[in-house]
Amino acid sequence: MKNTIRQVFHSPKFVVGFCIFMAILLTLFIYPLLNPGNPLQMIGLGTFARPGTYVSVYDGVTSPFSTFKLPQADANRLDSLLTTEDRVNMVNWFSLNGVDVAGLDITDTQAMIALWKQHFDPAIRPQGMTKAMRNYYIRLNTSILGASSADALVVSETDEATGEASEKSKITKTDYVNVADVANVVTLPLGTDNFGRDTLKQLVAACGVSILIGLIAGAVATALGLLLGLLAGYLGGLVDDIIMFFTNIFTVIPSFVLLILINYSISQDQRGAGTVALVIGLTSWVWTTRSVRSQVLSLRGRDHVNLSRLSGHSLPRIILTDILPYIASYVVMAFILQVSSGILAEAQLSLLGLGPKTTEVPTLGLMMNWAMLYSAHLNGSWWAYFPVILVIALISFSLNLMNTGLDQVFNPTLRD
Amino acid sequence: MTKTRKILSMLLALALLGSLITVPALAETVELPRNETLYFAGLQWGSVNGWNPLSDDMNNALGITQNAGGSRIPMFETLYMYNMLDGSFTPLLADGDYVWNEARTEITVKIKPAAKWSDGTALTAEDVAYTFDTNVKIGNARGNSYKPFIESVVAVDPSTVVIKAKLNDAGAAVNPLQMITYLEEAYVFQKAWVQTVEARNNNDAAAIKRDPGDDVIASGPYKKYFADDQKVVFVRDDSYWGQDASMWGKLPVPKYLVHAIYADNPSGETAFKAGEVDVCQQFIANIQDLWLKDGLPISTYMDEAPWGICVNMPTAWFNMDIPALQNASLRKAIALAVDYDAIIQNAMTGQSPTFADVPRSCMNPTAGEQATFDHDAVKDLQWAGNDIDGAKKLLDDAGILDTDGDGWRELDGQKLSLNACCPNGWTDWMAAMEIVAAAGEKIGIEITTEFPEWSVYQTVVTAAKQTEYDIFMMWTDSAAPTQPWGRVRQLMSGEFNGIEGNWSGNWGHFANARIDEIIAAIPSTVDADALKALYTEAVQIYLSEVPSFSLMYRPNMFHAVNESVWTNYPDATDGRNIPPSICVDGYGIAALYALELVNP
Repeated sequence: MKNTIRQVFHSPKFVVGFCIFMAILLTLFIYPLLNPGNPLQMIGLGTFARPGTYVSVYDGVTSPFSTFKLPQADANRLDSLLTTEDRVNMVNWFSLNGVDVAGLDITDTQAMIALWKQHFDPAIRPQGMTKAMRNYYIRLNTSILGASSADALVVSETDEATGEASEKSKITKTDYVNVADVANVVTLPLGTDNFGRDTLKQLVAACGVSILIGLIAGAVATALGLLLGLLAGYLGGLVDDIIMFFTNIFTVIPSFVLLILINYSISQDQRGAGTVALVIGLTSWVWTTRSVRSQVLSLRGRDHVNLSRLSGHSLPRIILTDILPYIASYVVMAFILQVSSGILAEAQLSLLGLGPKTTEVPTLGLMMNWAMLYSAHLNGSWWAYFPVILVIALISFSLNLMNTGLDQVFNPTLRD
Repeated sequence: MTKTRKILSMLLALALLGSLITVPALAETVELPRNETLYFAGLQWGSVNGWNPLSDDMNNALGITQNAGGSRIPMFETLYMYNMLDGSFTPLLADGDYVWNEARTEITVKIKPAAKWSDGTALTAEDVAYTFDTNVKIGNARGNSYKPFIESVVAVDPSTVVIKAKLNDAGAAVNPLQMITYLEEAYVFQKAWVQTVEARNNNDAAAIKRDPGDDVIASGPYKKYFADDQKVVFVRDDSYWGQDASMWGKLPVPKYLVHAIYADNPSGETAFKAGEVDVCQQFIANIQDLWLKDGLPISTYMDEAPWGICVNMPTAWFNMDIPALQNASLRKAIALAVDYDAIIQNAMTGQSPTFADVPRSCMNPTAGEQATFDHDAVKDLQWAGNDIDGAKKLLDDAGILDTDGDGWRELDGQKLSLNACCPNGWTDWMAAMEIVAAAGEKIGIEITTEFPEWSVYQTVVTAAKQTEYDIFMMWTDSAAPTQPWGRVRQLMSGEFNGIEGNWSGNWGHFANARIDEIIAAIPSTVDADALKALYTEAVQIYLSEVPSFSLMYRPNMFHAVNESVWTNYPDATDGRNIPPSICVDGYGIAALYALELVNP
């Protein structure tokens, strides 16, 4: 046993797969400790907040200020206001409305803004201009007017009783706040999803649930496949015929179609993650049965098995001690593949809206499903679906690597 | 032997290859110049079944859609055009305003002398009368819905129609509100054509309703061009009567109206973003990103959130067939706990006013409906949501407690476990149900979501009795002349209880004697103060009994336009008073006469 394990860990493929998988598992245990709480809690109003660090404006205003006189500050502020495209569009508006733009340097932000403030009127409807374009100019105007040129902004507080505003503090252009001083700062490395939930937190939780679904599905499928394969292969005769009859029937029905039909017939409130895992397991035992049976068929006639039989050993004992150890490596490999395909099956089902019910636990498939429903793939919110795809790919990649590694160790035809 | 086999296998391979190369489509390809064509999306799903307006299942959305909020009139026309912005009626086939008689039991309408059918014959009062008679005679959806309140439609002379009300025991019209709706909802069909259809189907009502009506004659500015499983195309009738000075004085601008048939919302949205669709009636999440982030030439009727005029309220209904839900405290507690801001911001992506902006009632956010009831009298009953403490207190006071310590409350010894349902794929509703379910968890009531397919969902929800869905979503009526009476009726009327295939309202099977009296009294009440008192009481009953609770406000039509090809669409600030009804519904069709090309 020890020797086998040593052998296995000498396979580079297995080691790489194993490391990736362990890293994922480790994250599953550590991340919730760092960031505790319900992964399904809707923390944000609005959909798909971008990844990044969010600083509470309210707390920032009341935090201690430091003064920095950075040489580029004013220029940065203006540049973030007007893109080159905006500048070109401003010149277009000027020329459409008969404003003389001769000698105007579009990189001279101050001059551009001055001219803009002098001439722009939202009520003007230039001939041939689309409403979308008019709206764009109105937005541009609002942002230009909103970018105050005043040296200080005043924070005021409204007295609830009288409704009067009193000045609380002034913010100048050179005031800076250390993020460490602000009471509320939230970092969302993967932003939020369509419900305003922390995507990373949900992803970690979903990853755990999906792996669990894979394990249950894999265990069920392997156990069932192994049992039927052993019985059919060893007993032969009528038992073999009956088992193979059903196995062949299930082989020709595509298992995914079966999966869809079964899930469809279970009403959604009965469809917990466990149920879905069970259904996946119950529809994917076929190939294991066939392979185990053929292996057992070849083992059945071996000398040591015959010897056991002659010695009057019982059927369970012969299967457990004389046959199972010889196909154990194969069964482990089959199990790993079943886990991987179980996770994929859950993702596929959930994408079709046939996955586990949605309110209890997150799964990788459900995350993809909601991202799709809210067109994350169309509106550029990559953080809502791409990390999920990556995690699914990593899990099945690592499991398949482990499987290939094991194969190289145990399969005599592949052994180096 | 091997040689024959070889040849045979070669032949087989060739045959396979041949079958792979598809024969070029034989169908005639029709050129539709882009700058003469207006493309729609979000109305038509699946190919059309035909053009017969007497039928209820032609699945021909752009051609045949009669709707109290403004019927779709590019092909068939109504007497008046409804404008949901101000509730006004603009004469279309009618000439001048309609006139009530003294007793308010008859409406007289004159027909425009210029009105003609597409075959050039005059459109007369006879056609109007015969349309009503046929609808009632063959018992289609229109006929069945008009029958209870219209006795007859009579052609007094070729240009005068009198619509006579069904009378109640007191000799007054049963429902004057719905009689007015008839004027802007009901299409007028050509008597001669209807008679042709009747003759070829031997006057068999079922056969008449199955007739595809390929030879249909209509009066509108567009007629059918062709339809297949890719698109439906209408072509302008250049001899359209409406270019007469007594109507529009010109023809609508686009020569073709086309509705491409998309598989689902995302493909329609992609085409819209690419400029292949001009007018899009689909819910697009975060629609403002299309211009703010993507810089596309797309706009909506209003330039600020909620981007459209919200006139109806998708509502979550409590199923009163479930014994636990007959407890009003439980119903109100769930409604109190729901985070409506999250629904509006996350499910509707901000395309709705909040319940702080427009406190809940049976009325939609338009000024006209809001003015129908006394706001101060219902103030204490309204709630803005996310009130977890209030909901818990309500449940505690009602004795709905967690007695066995499992974290879930019990009622009559039964753990409270409810489902929240809506049709699968209806994205904003599904997300709203998720948020309702999340609220349940916060107050100790287990709520799980369930998303059945629409085909299953509709049969369950419209059944006379059902115990499958506990909390479920349905729509409410949009703006129409009968509102807000129609919506009060839809939300609470006992008249819909016990009806199989109930599409009209009160899907939770709520029963309350007083509200039924109010609903019966409103249509014939003329005195303004009395009317206001009735509406106020109705809202009070609705908010204290909570038979259902609205989750958001929603436009009747999502009216988004892409100005890649066409421009000068109606908008809220242009002063033209054209409603955002996708350029084809009710008075919204006026937009078609004002469109301009971006690059002429």
